[in-house]
Amino acid sequence: MPLFGPLSFSFAPQVLASKTLSRWVKPFAAWYAEQSGYRKYGLKYDDLLMEERDDVQRALGRLTSAEGYDRAFRLKRASQASILHAPLPKEQWTKFSEDGRYLTSHIREVEKEDNERAMWDTVSVKRK
Amino acid sequence: MLAARASSRNVQCIARSFATVVDNAGVKVAAIDSNQPTTSVTFLVKAGSRYEPKAGVAHGLKNFAFKSTAKRSALGTVRESELYGGLLSANLSREHLALTAEFLRGDEHYFVDVLSSFLTSGKFTRHEFEEYVTPVMQSEIELSNADPALHAIELAHALAFRNGLGSSLYATPHSHLTAEDIKAFAKSAFTTGNIAVLGTGIDQDSLSKLVEQSLSKISTSSALTSTPSSYFGGETRIQGHSGPQTVFIGFGSAGAPTPELAAISAHLSTTPSVKWSKGLSPIATAIPEGTSVQTVYLPYSDASLFGLLVQGPTGASVREAGKAAVTALKSATSLKGDDLKKAIAKAKFASASATESRDGFVALLGSKVLAGSASTLDATLSSLDKVSESTVSKAASALVGAKPTFIAVGDVSSLPYADELGL
Repeated sequence: MPLFGPLSFSFAPQVLASKTLSRWVKPFAAWYAEQSGYRKYGLKYDDLLMEERDDVQRALGRLTSAEGYDRAFRLKRASQASILHAPLPKEQWTKFSEDGRYLTSHIREVEKEDNERAMWDTVSVKRK
Repeated sequence: MLAARASSRNVQCIARSFATVVDNAGVKVAAIDSNQPTTSVTFLVKAGSRYEPKAGVAHGLKNFAFKSTAKRSALGTVRESELYGGLLSANLSREHLALTAEFLRGDEHYFVDVLSSFLTSGKFTRHEFEEYVTPVMQSEIELSNADPALHAIELAHALAFRNGLGSSLYATPHSHLTAEDIKAFAKSAFTTGNIAVLGTGIDQDSLSKLVEQSLSKISTSSALTSTPSSYFGGETRIQGHSGPQTVFIGFGSAGAPTPELAAISAHLSTTPSVKWSKGLSPIATAIPEGTSVQTVYLPYSDASLFGLLVQGPTGASVREAGKAAVTALKSATSLKGDDLKKAIAKAKFASASATESRDGFVALLGSKVLAGSASTLDATLSSLDKVSESTVSKAASALVGAKPTFIAVGDVSSLPYADELGL
C-alpha cells in the first residue's frame, strides 16, 4: 500500500491475519479509538479521511444519497459542537457498532481504477 | 444461348443459402464467409424495448454494454480492443439488442470473449450507471426529441401498438431507473433461448466452437414475456421547435408482415434509382418543391407498421404534400400491370441488397435465426414472387380501411389534421 495514497499506511491487514496478534492488539485499538474523541462528536472514522483529493471526491460521489446526507449531517453537527467547545450529549455519541467504514471500500475501488488506468497508459505491448 | 446461360447462373446465385443455422446447446449460431478481410460477430438478444418490464430498462441495458464484467473493467475493454484494432457497438431495436464486434480475421477469440463476458458476467455497478450510462442515455433522449422524424415515429409506435411494441426505444428524461432494474432485466434476458450469434467473414465451425466455450455457463430459463401485438391507431399533435415541419401518416397491421406491404412500400417510395432524378414514384411528381415524402416500412415478428413521413419547411407545403401522398396511397389499391412488376422488382432488390451489408444482414436474418428457421434470402424473394394484383389490392384496402396513426410534430397551428388530408 502506498504511503501517500488516499488511505494512509496501515498494518491492519497483517495484524488481522495473525490470530494471536489481533487478540492482543484489538482491545488496545478499541481503547485508542474511543480515546481519540471523534465519537464524542458523533463522527465516524471515515468522516475523518482526507477528502481534498480527486480520488476521494470521486469515491464520495459514489455514496448513496442517504449515506451522503448522513455524512453531511454528522459533519455539520460536529462543527456546531466544536464551536460550542463541548462534546455532544452522550446519547448522540457514535456507538462502537455504528462506526463502520462506509467510504473506504469506495476509495479502494477508485484507487484500483486509477492504478489500472496508469497501467494501460504505460503498458508495453508485445505482439506474438 | 449466352442469355440462357447467364440466367441459369443467376438462379444458382439466388439459390445459394446465406447462412446455415446450427443449434449450439440452445444458442443459435449462423455464419457466412465471403472471404472479406474483416470479421464481424453479432450477439443478437431478444431484449428489445417490447420486452422491458419498466420503461427505459432496455435503453439502459444497451448503454451498459461493454462496461465492467468479472473478466475486465470498462477501461480494460476499451484499451484492449484498441490494441487489437476492433470496433464494438450496441444497437437497440424494438425487439432485439444487437451487440456487435468488428475486427480483423484471427482476433475472434478475444472479441467473442468480450461479447460473451458481458452476457455471462456483467457487473451492472451503480457507480458506472451514474457516471457513464446515465449521461449517454440523457444525450440520446435529447437527440431523439430534437429530430422530428425520429420523434414522430416513436410517437407513432406508442399510438399504434400501445403496449409491447409501443414502448419507446428511449427512456423518459426523468425516469427512476436503477442499476438493479437493469441487472434484473439482463438476468431474465440473457438466457440460451434468447440469444442468436451471427457471424460474417468467419466459418461456421470455429464460431460455433467459440460460442460453445464462452456461453457454457449461461442460464437456460427465460422469464421474458411480451403481449402479442394488436393495432390501435390514433392521432396526436406535438409542438416542436427544431427541424422541419413533420407529419407521419401510419397504418399498422397485426400478424406476420406480408410481402404485399413491402411491394406497396416499394411502389410509393420516392427514393429514385438514380441520384438527383425524380423517378417514377406516383408521389415524387405530385409534391411541391422543398418537401419530402419518405415511406417507412417497419416489419416486426407479429405486426408491421407502414407509413409515409411528410416533411417540409411550412405547414401549408406539408398539407399539400400530405394530400398527394394520401391520394397515391389510396390509388395503390388498384396497383397492376407494369407498375406492380416494377414495385416487386424494387422490393426484391431492396431486401436482397440489404443482406449484403452487415447491419442489413442482422436486421433481416437475425430474427429468423432466433426463431430457428432457415435464414435464406430465397424465402423472402419467392414470397415476393407470389404477390399478385388481387393480393395487393386486398392488402392495400385493408391498410387504408383501418384507423390511421396520424402524428404531427412542429408548428401545430398550421400543420394539417388527419381528416383534412382525406384520411
